[in-house]
Amino acid sequence: MIALRWLAIAGYLALAAAPLLWLGITSLQTQEQALATSAGAFTPTVEAYGRLGEAYAGSSSTFLDYLLSSVVIGVLSTVASVALGTCCAYGFSRFRIPGAKDWLFFILSTRFMPPLAVVAPVLIMYRQFDLPNTYLGLIALYTVFNLSLAVWLMKGFIDEIPKAFEEAALVDGYSRLQAFWRIIVPQARTGMAVTAVFCLISAWNEFGFAMTLNNKHGTTVPVYFAGLQGNINGVPWPQVAAGVLIFVVPIIVFTVLVRQHLLRGVTFGTIKQ
Amino acid sequence: MAKWIAVIAVITVIALIVWISVRDNMAPQQAPDRPATPAKQALTIWWAQWDPAVGLQELGKDFERETGVAVTVQQIPWSTYQDQVFLNFGNKQTDFDIVVGDSQWIGRGASKGLYLDLSDWAKASVKLAELNATALKYLCEYPTGSGKLFALPCETDAVAFAYRKDWFADATEQAAFKAKHNRDLAPPQTWEEFRDVAAFFTRPEQKRYGCALLTGRGYDSLVMGFQNLFWAFGGSWGDAATFATEGHVNSPGAVAALGFMKELVALSPPGGADMDYGKVMEVFRNGSVAMSMDYVAFFPGLSKDMGDKVGYFAMPAKDGKRAISLGGQGFSVSSKVAPAQQELAKRFIAWFLQKNVQEQWITKPAGFTANQAILVSPEFRAKTPYNGPLADSMDHLQDFWNVPVYNELLSAAQRLIGEAIDGKSEPKAALDALAKEHAVILKDAGLAK
Amino acid sequence: MLKDSTAIKWSFVGPVLALLIAFNVFPLCWNIVLSFTDADLSGGDWQWVRGRWYGRIFSGAEAGPQYALFASALRTTALFTILAVAIELLFGFILALALKDRFRGKTAVLTVLLVPMMLSPAVIGLFWSHILNGNHGILNQLLHGLGLPQPQWLTDPGWKFAAMLMVDVWMWTPFMMLISLAGLNAIPPHLYEAAEIDRASRWTVFRRITLPLCAPLLMLAVLLRATDALKQFDLVMSMTGPNDASTQTLSALLYQVMFQGGKVGLGSAYACVVLVVVIALATVFTRYLDWLAAKQGRA
Repeated sequence: MIALRWLAIAGYLALAAAPLLWLGITSLQTQEQALATSAGAFTPTVEAYGRLGEAYAGSSSTFLDYLLSSVVIGVLSTVASVALGTCCAYGFSRFRIPGAKDWLFFILSTRFMPPLAVVAPVLIMYRQFDLPNTYLGLIALYTVFNLSLAVWLMKGFIDEIPKAFEEAALVDGYSRLQAFWRIIVPQARTGMAVTAVFCLISAWNEFGFAMTLNNKHGTTVPVYFAGLQGNINGVPWPQVAAGVLIFVVPIIVFTVLVRQHLLRGVTFGTIKQ
Repeated sequence: MAKWIAVIAVITVIALIVWISVRDNMAPQQAPDRPATPAKQALTIWWAQWDPAVGLQELGKDFERETGVAVTVQQIPWSTYQDQVFLNFGNKQTDFDIVVGDSQWIGRGASKGLYLDLSDWAKASVKLAELNATALKYLCEYPTGSGKLFALPCETDAVAFAYRKDWFADATEQAAFKAKHNRDLAPPQTWEEFRDVAAFFTRPEQKRYGCALLTGRGYDSLVMGFQNLFWAFGGSWGDAATFATEGHVNSPGAVAALGFMKELVALSPPGGADMDYGKVMEVFRNGSVAMSMDYVAFFPGLSKDMGDKVGYFAMPAKDGKRAISLGGQGFSVSSKVAPAQQELAKRFIAWFLQKNVQEQWITKPAGFTANQAILVSPEFRAKTPYNGPLADSMDHLQDFWNVPVYNELLSAAQRLIGEAIDGKSEPKAALDALAKEHAVILKDAGLAK
Repeated sequence: MLKDSTAIKWSFVGPVLALLIAFNVFPLCWNIVLSFTDADLSGGDWQWVRGRWYGRIFSGAEAGPQYALFASALRTTALFTILAVAIELLFGFILALALKDRFRGKTAVLTVLLVPMMLSPAVIGLFWSHILNGNHGILNQLLHGLGLPQPQWLTDPGWKFAAMLMVDVWMWTPFMMLISLAGLNAIPPHLYEAAEIDRASRWTVFRRITLPLCAPLLMLAVLLRATDALKQFDLVMSMTGPNDASTQTLSALLYQVMFQGGKVGLGSAYACVVLVVVIALATVFTRYLDWLAAKQGRA
């Protein structure tokens, strides 16, 4: 039984890691080696990483430009989501809001919507304000679409903070706002960090909206990669692999950082460990 | 629950009111005249991401030197080029002044008022007689044959074949081929010869195959690849006057063509049933295939990388009939920019089409001219190994539908022909279904009865 | 608790709710309006067409072969969701059973296993298409070396769907595993001890203790994963493109109709039908969450 168990673990570990390992290997090859029909031994080269700083086949931007877009849009939308989400979660946690259950259901349901189903009206709406292909447009959209995650996660965290602290503060004459700012926010630091990570990952990986709204300026990395298909010079696999690795490293780092809270994060705060 | 329905109803009414008030912004209108800025005049051209666009940008610098107008060529990835262009047309003002559009887009661009009608201006300012008639007809006119021009040729292109000259030149291969087929191993002139050569080179145990055809299911590769056989064997997309499809799309010749294409796909590398413009080059580059079909615009990069190993030949014929998928794009001027910009755009196009500029154009990789005199000149043919086959192809060019609903016609063709190639349906059944579906689409669009 | 003024309450909660309404409800309603027009994405004049699109959607193929695409996209999406969730649940649960107990390096192993589900599907899907390439892909080369048949993962119509399913399973099995682990670890050990004393067989223990106690969390996982799988778009776009009959999910069809064809009116009608399904599922989901919370004594 034990042997079977280890076989299962080792087997799945290999399966999970193999594509990622191949990603690393491909990033050290040349294009010819990547396209070879019979893979063989080769001398690794970091040429592909160097090429990331060049624009590929007629694009006006390099991979690094797209990475910058992803970073700017991801970070700013995350900050906004977490800030707004924390305030809203505090409200639902501490106050009696009429229809709270309905509101919370509504907030959760926004996550279930396929982006493609809403993208046409959003696009038309954005056109009125000249928002397509801007940073602001996508930041605003990601902020809103991560709000459901932020509110639910933060509500879970805030619910765990004992009300005694605030009540003592209120008795001492602090206003609600002061109590929130001086007591809740410091205590919810971990929760906010965890929420920030999940919001960032969600914005970082997003494709549907990014492709339809920001395909010319403020283009993020996933859209750039999708655009490489059908390129006249072929897809530059070593550079793609190198780019994907660089794109994925922050995610892996963050995953490791929040590993204690992964369960809560991926289940919307509905399951706590 | 009732509460929610009430809420949604109220908001829908509000949305309706807002929609009606902003609807006028959705209709294409002349962009407001901007006061003449003392700043530098500039022109923006959109094209796909490939070598010819680089060449155009270089010519643009020449234009700037002569006229002081800065020209910027923005390159959009092929995979989303069509989507992005028409998406951009939905904005109040397009980001481009000129779009170098696919020939198929003309119907949509013209009928929706997105492309400027260039007929009168072109007749006055451009030497139309100098341009190749087929290119003009298919790349520029809408409706085809009406004489109304919505585009002017930028780059003309055709589908042709690249082949491994070194494999063909190898003495052992030549001897073996001659022994088997009693003729020399050379670029095939007919489709039957083509099949023989492809079968000869198909050696799966050596990971080598005979041919890679355009069979991609994405945008239009499969149709562009199939058309070369479809037309040569006797099929056609429909009657030009009545738009009838029955008996044209599924004529016996067409069915034979589809069956023949299936045979050829069996002689292609793994994955050969779904290869787009990039993939056929990929398998050619990594030595998997003897002959690859693609647009000539993809060949300059190939020659640069593979030098003498690669040669080119024009599409084979069937019973003496050659029919080749037209390629290339034309300059169209956006109707959604200021009139001043439109004038600049026209100036550029007129300048570009002059003979001396065209002579510069052909020195750029894949800068394929539509200027008839240059096309037939021996200098042009000698310049690169692929210019000859391209020049030979020009008189045999035909195109797919360019009516406004071309996208639906194309999707249907891609889907049904794809099913036949995959073996999910028989060629006759597939083409019968396609003829019917095209008839419905054309009827819905008000073109057919 | 002190009484808080309404102003304070709503200042905390209001902005978020307003934003959500503006960006979610408003477009939804606008979708409803658009679905009664023949608007085009490139602008231009449009007209009211009343129930034309809905009529054609519900007559399916009789209205024209392109309308049959909706039914087939529904089928593809449903099949994908059911298969993906079932396989991920099975594999994830088995893995969780194997990983349940403590062992050296458990955290490290877990973290590595969880990486695939945190990646961008669009990006990793592109790289998978390199691995699965019929001509130079490493997977087929490996299979060739092992003497096994090499399916054409991305070009054979029968295999394209399987390829997409495979990548999704690779990505999301860790998710099911994580939740199964939580479920398994939440079972009080004294139940197992009692079963041992009673000398219950392994199978009985599994059937009577493990499964029933895990079931609520597993159901939650299934619901979460199912709602995500219904949205499947990124993998389709990066592996086969949106126009492929074998893998065209609802989102891919919406993209084809609205962005390639430009038919916003028809696309909005499709979107409304999809949204009805989604809302139904969301209701089921939250009802279930409520039931779960009540059962566990949390109000």
